[in-house]
Amino acid sequence: MLIPRRHPALALIVCAVSVACLSGTPAVSPALAARQAPPAAAQAPLPLTLPNREDALKFGVMGDFGTGKREQYELGEEMGRVHSQFPFQLMITVGDNLYGGQSPSDFVKKFETPYKALLSAGVKFYASLGNHDSRQQSAYALFNMDGRTYYTFKAPKQDVRFFALYSDYLDPAQLQWLERELQNSREDWKIPYFHHPLYSSGDRHGSDLLKRKVLEPLFLKYGVSVVFAGHDHVYERVMPQQGITHFVVGSSGQLRKGNIDKGTGFTAYANATEQAFLVAEISDDQLFFNAVSRSGKVIDAGVIERRKPE
Amino acid sequence: MITVRRITVSLGLAPLLAAVSLLAGDIAQEKPRVNADAALSVEFLKGVQAYVELHKKLEATLPPRPEHATPAEIGAHEQALAKLIISARGRAKQGDLFPQKVRAYLRRQIGSVLRGPDGAVIRRSLMEDNPGKVQLRCNARYPEGLPITTMPAPVLSALPKLPEHVEYRFVGDRLVLLDSHAGLVMDYMTDALPQ
Repeated sequence: MLIPRRHPALALIVCAVSVACLSGTPAVSPALAARQAPPAAAQAPLPLTLPNREDALKFGVMGDFGTGKREQYELGEEMGRVHSQFPFQLMITVGDNLYGGQSPSDFVKKFETPYKALLSAGVKFYASLGNHDSRQQSAYALFNMDGRTYYTFKAPKQDVRFFALYSDYLDPAQLQWLERELQNSREDWKIPYFHHPLYSSGDRHGSDLLKRKVLEPLFLKYGVSVVFAGHDHVYERVMPQQGITHFVVGSSGQLRKGNIDKGTGFTAYANATEQAFLVAEISDDQLFFNAVSRSGKVIDAGVIERRKPE
Repeated sequence: MITVRRITVSLGLAPLLAAVSLLAGDIAQEKPRVNADAALSVEFLKGVQAYVELHKKLEATLPPRPEHATPAEIGAHEQALAKLIISARGRAKQGDLFPQKVRAYLRRQIGSVLRGPDGAVIRRSLMEDNPGKVQLRCNARYPEGLPITTMPAPVLSALPKLPEHVEYRFVGDRLVLLDSHAGLVMDYMTDALPQ
């Protein structure tokens, strides 16, 4: 499906080739299937459609995951399978990293164990915080936040800079910091990620209009092309809004089945039938993405062209 | 005629002069309010700063928390710090950091935002995932596992700017002053959201 340009002046072409909704309840539960199936190495390769170029930046996006429940673990296994085929270097989280208790055993149960394969393979996680996260998570070594609730870092490959925001507390200090950092950033790709979505068809929360009002003008002014958020427990890719593509990846653990408002008019693709996460690859001016479900299906795929200054 | 004309002119100017006089009166009345609010903001922040100094002093007595810590190190540090603060503020009671006049000032500030053009959206945002009627205690741990309410940017802009590691949060209609580093409820005020 070709998505028409919403704002030709921004010279954005989003050729988002949406794979048809392949969702559906598997006849056998993934856990049972995993037990019955041969070892991962012998399994059939996942139907990823990413170019998997050597020099590309490869990363994952996940959100609203820290439940410690079976579904989170199964998606974690799927992430491991994807990584063996598509070795992404880093994973960004869009918040709600741990639900409920945040004791040391919770970090093990809700993070370290389900993603053990990724952590062992050297994938670096860069977390942002949601409304269920204790601020103390910012000191947790494996979240690479260095004690900060909002921060920025340059990706190890390609011309990419990420901006992790603390959308729960957008005080004047954070907004000033963000504008300064966006202004100073010379990278081609500036990628903000945070918990509360500026655009969402999630029926539970929906678009956060207040945050949109303060953040969107900055994203437009400083050439942001893509934004990742969570909070609504669904997967959604939003049609480009003023040239910016928004993703909601609040689907990596705490799924809210069927919780999609079909009347927003801005959904490019949405799925609330099973847990999912996203993997992406940036190569020069293109960002390729695949959303992968708990049962190993590629439920959404496409490519986004970087917005260029007029 | 001249006299009459003068009187006419004077009468014609009367409403204008009256309006100017009223406006001047308003300004004269507004000015003390602004100054009074500024003074209340300073008074409030002075109390918060004193708390922060105590927090720092007590934290300095603990082994420093590593920048890249394990969950066990994070938990141990937070609990030890909270214990020290709770003990040092043993006599702390509700209203210490939110005295009556400060409470009235903060209610006015929040009220002005909620009466603004985005008021309804802001109120909805404050009530979303709001834990509601949870029991809170001053100088005690924020209940573990309880979600925190998102603070809309316009509300934060209207309230006095807090030092690092101190945050405003809403629990129900109570405005909580939270030590996010020690996970402590420093103080809270009730009826912070005008109806």
